[in-house]
Amino acid sequence: MTQAELAEKASVTRQTIIALEAQKYSPSLELAFRIANVFDVPLEEAFQYN
Amino acid sequence: MKFLNNYSNRELNIWAELILDILVSFYFFPKIFPLIIDGQLYSDALVGIITTSIILAIVYSIVVFGAINALTKREEKDERDYIYELKSYRISYYLSHGGILGIICLIVFNALYQENIGLLTPPKIAMILLIIALLSSTGKSLTQLFNYRKNI
Repeated sequence: MTQAELAEKASVTRQTIIALEAQKYSPSLELAFRIANVFDVPLEEAFQYN
Repeated sequence: MKFLNNYSNRELNIWAELILDILVSFYFFPKIFPLIIDGQLYSDALVGIITTSIILAIVYSIVVFGAINALTKREEKDERDYIYELKSYRISYYLSHGGILGIICLIVFNALYQENIGLLTPPKIAMILLIIALLSSTGKSLTQLFNYRKNI
């Protein structure tokens, strides 16, 4: 899945996905759930706190 | 065109806004200050400068913002955009309120020590307010751009 496709499915901009991937931006809980839903995985599998 | 891919539509619009602020201030203030100093602020020259500034700003907006929105895909604001917008409004708020506080101090000091500072006329205060508005707008744009670039 491309960044643009994920951005569209999660209803955010591609720049937000880039920032998330680079670990430069912490998403809101709602966005985190939306992204986890896109990949059809539990939240803790999509995001981990380091 | 490749560099456009690295910038979102929103970022390009903020850059355009920032450049407009800078262009207007470089055109407007060097022309208006001599008029204030000479006490000719109510002359026809002032009308000409203001009219030209407005026309230039409108032409610039049509051309540049039109080109940006034609060349890049317009995106809806997401949560990150709103967060950065709020941060930039905070900076803008501090700048404008700091400026207004500065004007109040200037008026008080002017009243107390008129001979040292010189008479603060309404046109001078209006120009100071314009400068504050410009600084506030520039600060807002710079904060947004800084946040966008910091996180990429």
